[in-house]
Amino acid sequence: MQSMTIVKRALRWTAVSAVLAIAGCADEPPASDPDAVAEFKQTNDPLEPTNRAIFDFNTKAETYFLDPIARGYRYTVPPFGRDRVSDFLSNLDEPVVFLNDVLQGNSSLACKAVERFALNTTFGVFGIMDVATPLGIHSHEADFGQTLGVWGVESGPYLVLPFFGPSSARDGVGMGVDLVADPWSWYLTDHNLNWVSWARFGVDAVSKDEAYMDFLDDLRRTSLDYYAAMRSLSRQRREALIRAGKDDIEVANDRRRPDYAPTTNPMK
Amino acid sequence: MTVLSRRAFAAFTFCAALCLGIAGARADDAATANDAQNFIHGMADKALVLVNDKNLSDKDRADRFKDLFVQAFDIPEVGKFVLGRHWKTASPTQQKDFIESFEDFTVLTWSTRFKDYSGVSFEIEGSSPADEGYWVVDSLVKRAQGEPLHLGWRIHKVDGAWKITDILVEGVSMALTQRQDFASAIQSSGGTVESLLATMHRKIEELRAGK
Repeated sequence: MQSMTIVKRALRWTAVSAVLAIAGCADEPPASDPDAVAEFKQTNDPLEPTNRAIFDFNTKAETYFLDPIARGYRYTVPPFGRDRVSDFLSNLDEPVVFLNDVLQGNSSLACKAVERFALNTTFGVFGIMDVATPLGIHSHEADFGQTLGVWGVESGPYLVLPFFGPSSARDGVGMGVDLVADPWSWYLTDHNLNWVSWARFGVDAVSKDEAYMDFLDDLRRTSLDYYAAMRSLSRQRREALIRAGKDDIEVANDRRRPDYAPTTNPMK
Repeated sequence: MTVLSRRAFAAFTFCAALCLGIAGARADDAATANDAQNFIHGMADKALVLVNDKNLSDKDRADRFKDLFVQAFDIPEVGKFVLGRHWKTASPTQQKDFIESFEDFTVLTWSTRFKDYSGVSFEIEGSSPADEGYWVVDSLVKRAQGEPLHLGWRIHKVDGAWKITDILVEGVSMALTQRQDFASAIQSSGGTVESLLATMHRKIEELRAGK
């Protein structure tokens, strides 16, 4: 099964990372500095040296490989065309989104995923036009890492995965499950069309890079420590997604706010 | 009047007063919500006028943007929050240097970001009270391509005037991100506020040079 090869690859990478990790563990600060210890625990990144190395590798792969392709894509394909590509690709994600909505017990979101998929696949011509959004049925994310989070599984240590980027022990497992659960790759494997799956992942990578490239450049330019800023940002994003998933709502409609009062708040 | 009916009357009066009080508080909240939204709306309008005014030179635009920004943001509060536990250990001179550098850094960060926001539309979605005197105004930014962006503005009143203390981009707090960014920068540059200040000064020069 093609998705299995990806999982195998991911596992192999994880094994390589684990070996590297033994060589690259961050030291816990001395107990005499309780604030520093609290910060260390909150950061929850015991594999930081290894994570940083992989993060640097990913950043280089983006800068020298993916970004030039994404810029070429941006230059040759107008915004309308690029929206058609990303609409088509996100329509393909809808079955896995639905599955996770159901596993999270989110009936309202699950219905939205079904409605979107039905409308966009038919009236939207195989998902090329997102006709559901103008009707007020907005897209939402759902993945198995989030599902585990909604079920109460803690994130575990922060992990940077090669090529896939910021993740965690929990979300890394979740990603593997989502890959295996994807019905399109079952179909394509059964019909010996694995190359289509690879093409999909490739186009998806370029399309996402085109969408996020400027934001990431900006973050790199305006942060003192790009790695740490990215870690904070992606973790907050995961937490927001899980918070919303627990209540069967979209992140955008969640009116709860992040926790501003961690153990080290100087204002208290 | 019997004792009983007097008690009933007292109870009724008490309840009525309580209800009126609650209604009053609700009206207060509604007024504050309105006020908070007007503040963000006014600020965004001014900012959009700046972005779209073709007669302004880049320098004028940057200067006016800085004025608007410094007026709208509670920079000392955000700065203290971002420095976190290291604020306590910093000397008064370092604290002063930090707040000044933080202002330069933040203004530069946002003014360069701001150039990319021409041709966007901005609408207020609502507002809600957050913790201890803070409000969050929710807004939607529509761009030429891609999904619209949800921005939340966390504000509070300083001497009667609203000030922004955080921006939530799709639920992600910029202040928290920056706090963890700075904490890590302190750690990797030797663990002192002095080394952080040196890093910040260098970064400000880089941003000024347009890197």
